[in-house]
This record gives sequence, C-alpha cells and structure tokens, in this order.
Amino acid sequence: MPEFIARRLLQLIPTLIFILVVVFALVRLLPGDPASAILGDRAIDADVERINRELGLDKPIPVQFWVFVKSFATGNLGNSITLKLPVSQLIADRLPITMLLTFMAAVISLLMAVPLAFVAALKRDRPPDSIIRGGFQVGLSMPVFYVGLILLTIFGAKLRWFPVGGYGDGFLDHVYHLFLPAVTLALSLSAILMRNLRAAIIGVLDADYVSFAQSKGLATRLILYRHILRNALISTLALFGLSIGTLLGGAVITETVFAIPGAGRLMVDSIYGRDYPVVQGLTVALAVLVSVTFLLTDLLQAWLDPRMTK
Amino acid sequence: MTDTARPETPVPSRGRAGLLSRLPRTFMFGVLILGTLVLIAIFPEFFAPYDPLAFDYSAVLQPPSAAHPFGTDNFGRDVLSRVIHASTINLQIAIFATITPFVFGTLLGAVVGYVGGIAETIFGRVVDAVITFPFLVLVIAIVSVLGPGLVNMYIAVGLVGWVFYARIIAAEVKVQKRLDYADAGRAMGYTHTRIVFRHLLPNSVTPAIVYWMTDMALAILLGSSLGYLGLGAQPPAAEWGVQIAEGKNFMATAWWISVFPGIAIVITGLGFSLLGDGLADLLRTRK
Repeated sequence: MPEFIARRLLQLIPTLIFILVVVFALVRLLPGDPASAILGDRAIDADVERINRELGLDKPIPVQFWVFVKSFATGNLGNSITLKLPVSQLIADRLPITMLLTFMAAVISLLMAVPLAFVAALKRDRPPDSIIRGGFQVGLSMPVFYVGLILLTIFGAKLRWFPVGGYGDGFLDHVYHLFLPAVTLALSLSAILMRNLRAAIIGVLDADYVSFAQSKGLATRLILYRHILRNALISTLALFGLSIGTLLGGAVITETVFAIPGAGRLMVDSIYGRDYPVVQGLTVALAVLVSVTFLLTDLLQAWLDPRMTK
Repeated sequence: MTDTARPETPVPSRGRAGLLSRLPRTFMFGVLILGTLVLIAIFPEFFAPYDPLAFDYSAVLQPPSAAHPFGTDNFGRDVLSRVIHASTINLQIAIFATITPFVFGTLLGAVVGYVGGIAETIFGRVVDAVITFPFLVLVIAIVSVLGPGLVNMYIAVGLVGWVFYARIIAAEVKVQKRLDYADAGRAMGYTHTRIVFRHLLPNSVTPAIVYWMTDMALAILLGSSLGYLGLGAQPPAAEWGVQIAEGKNFMATAWWISVFPGIAIVITGLGFSLLGDGLADLLRTRK
C-alpha cells in the first residue's frame, strides 16, 4: 500500500506537466491579443509594446513557458486584465465557493443515490424499482441550466423559499444560498451514481460469495453492509472520481444561472473578456483540483479493494 | 453461439424469465420515442404548423391555445414550430458529436487493454491528463478559440470524448484477456488481432455501447448548454438550448417559451437512455 501511494503520487508529476503544457498552448491560441483587450481598439503601438513587455509576450516561446512554469511554482500568477486584481487572490476568493458548491452537490447526490439504489436493486423489476429508475432517467435527461431555471422560478421567484442568486454572508448563509444550485447540480450526478450502484449491487447479489454467506445463515443486514455495500461502492467510487470534472463543468453553468460569484462564473467571464492570466490560472487550478480528487478516490478504492494496488 | 467444440466466449445467460418479459418493453419504448423523433427531425415542415422564424407582432407572448399549442414567444414566433424544427439540429448534435469518439476510442481502448505494459502506462497518463480538465470547461475553451458554432463544437467534443470510450474498453479488455477463453484462443494459435477484435472486443463492447447511448443524451445536453451560453447553435436558428435561453427572462410570465423545449430535451434524453438500458439487457454477456 505505501508503495502504491508513492507510485500514485509520482504519477501526478507528468499529469501536472501535461496540464501546464495544454493550458499554455490553449491560452496562446485564444483569439484576440491581450494588449488590445487591455487598451481597447484605439491603442497606440507604443502602449501595445509596453503591455506585451510587461506580460512577457515579447519573449521567445520557450522562455515564456519557463516563466509560466515558474509563476505557478511561486504562486505569482500576474494580474487580471479586466478586474485589475492578482490572479492568485481571485482564485483564492472564488475557488472555495465552487468547491463548497461541488462538495454540497456531491453529498446531496450520494444521499439521494445510495438508499434509492438499494431499494431499486432489492426490489428489482418490481414497481419501486421502475418508479425510481424512471424518475432518475428523467433527471439524467434534464440539462443543468433547465433544472436550475425551473427550481429558481418555483422556489426562488414564486415561493420565495430560497434566494434567487448571490452568495450571502457567513457560512450558514453561504450554504443556504448554495442549496438550490447544489440540488440542481446533484440531480444528474445522483442519477448516474444510482444507475451504476444499482447494477453493482445486483451484480454482487448474484455473486457466489453472497449466496455462500446466505447459506451460512448470516443476517441479511450484515451481508448488505459487509459484503454488498463495500463491493458495490468500489465501482461507484471510480465513477464518482470521474464525475468530478463533469460536476465542476456543471458548476460553470449553475453559477451562471444562479449568479454565484464562483470560479465557474469567473471562468466564463474571463473567456468572454479574453482575460488570459485568469483563464490560465483558473484552468490549472481546476485541473489540479480534479487530479487531487482522482488521487483521493484511487487511494480510497485501493483501500477498499487491495487488488487495485497491483 | 451454439457450437461448443471450439473454445467459446462466455454465453449470455438469459434464464431469468422476469427479465425477458421486461426487456423488450424498455427497448421498444426507446425505439418508439427515437423513431418518432427521427421522423419529425427529417420532415419538420410536415409537422410544424408555422414558419419557425416568422415574426407575428399581432400574436406576441400568447399562452398555449388551440392556434398555438405551445404558445408564442416575444417575437410572436410559434414555439411548437420552433421546437419541431430544432429537433433536426439537436439530433444531428447527438450523432455527429459522438460517433467519432465512439469508433476511435473503442478501437484504441481494445488495443491498449490487450497490449498492456508501456502502452497502458502512456495511455493512462494521457487519460489522466485529459480527464483532469473539466470536460465542459475544456470544450468551452476550445470553442472560444475556434469560434462559436456547431462544427467547432463537434471538433472540441471529439478531441476529448474518445478518452471515455477508450478507458471503458481498456478496462474491460484487461479483465477479459485473463479469462480462460482468451488463453484457449492463444493456445489454439489465434493471432492477437483475431483474439482482440473477434473475441475480446465483442465481450467488452457492451458497456461502451451503453455509454454511447448515454453519451448521445449527454451530447444533446452539452449542445444545448453551449447554445444556452451563446457558444453553440446561433440564433435565430431554432435549437432547444437557444430557445430556453431566449425564454429565461420570461420564466415568471411566459413559462412556455422555455419549458417546452426543455421537455423536448428530456424526452429525447429519455429515448436514448431507454434504448441504452434495453441494449444493455439485450447484449449482457456476463453475470
């Protein structure tokens, strides 16, 4: 196990390098040059040159890449072009909002998926199963922005149970503001998890060791927890890790719909505004966040199923 | 799969009577929904009562009625006709955005899973790197580089989407190649190509096909999301996501502009999901 952890940590290095290369390339392909984005259309050449010098854009590409890598190593990511703030500060301000939102969505989706998957699997092919699967299939087919728009209109604008946007002050207020967006985000993930978990539980139910446990006379509840849940959770964990990217992508849209000042919203604004220091800093930050989540789910999986470390 | 003399791939067990009687219903329901949709998408003019782009300032923001079953929008355009005409674009998105990733990812995944070793290690790093970028963020970034529009969206999705299929197939093939029938195939002197594509792939492809159905539903969601953000299909073209975005400021007063295109998305997604589930049951070769 320690060897597996070490190996898995080492694997992060090429991934991080790849992330940096892709982001570096992508940002330099973005349409429009940063200098005219800062200065507007009527910029004079001297000013353009000055900005390019300040941003290091007059240097050769390899030098730019070295500066780019160094900036991430030191955390000095430059200033936002439109917001005139240090990028590292913007990320530190906005990313926790998105992280809280995705964390809440992950918890809500698990709370919805696990019990329902058990009911569906144990009542396989009977009415509860059909109703649960039907309901989640509808949930899976709903676009995030559509769900958000409908929840916002019903529970925000009409019933006034929840705020129609923003982030609030203080932790509890944040959670209150993020509740509807988190439910919006959780719906499709819980459908994916439920579907997989149900299949996994059914697979385990049919496995020989469960029949054996039953024939030994073990209590059904013990079998459910000790044998079924553990094995069914392994594949769900893998899916969960894989879904973090989707969840963060969904957060981009959710934050746009609910006007939440998170990293996703910042990302969309920065892409429209061609604010490339923010785009590159944020993309790297999000990618690092996802790789760390992968690492954690992998380690959890290895802990649940030691065969994974081979 | 009746000949038993040769080393045979695992035979599907279709013993469960309840399963068999339920199976065709899911599948047929999916086929029915998608069949109807394809028909509508191919002949929208036949089904749509009005011109989807025609303004009618004498009939602005009208609620659903006999003349306009889905109501009209803020330009007096018939929402039903727009939903019908949008189905053409949305079904195109489902197919064009997924077919290349499916074919390419499946073939590559099978080879990687079978060869293992260094190929698997390299592939693992590529997969890790690609999936560490939130899919939507990456697609939005690529689309904003290439410019808004559907073709650029297909390119962006294709650049990223194959990874998921390859990952699924590689994992399955890796399991399958250790089973007795693969060993038997090798003992019989079959070529690697034959073992991979004739024996391992057919036994591994089910999850990828099922995922493909989900992926088509996801592609419609992605396409409409980009439409909603203004990066996909461009107005005034009717596309379900664009329509929802057009109606979002009228949600409290004229809900029908956004709600009906959304229902169309849900029904289409449901069709693909049912088809995927039905296929999964039909093609299930294990357990």
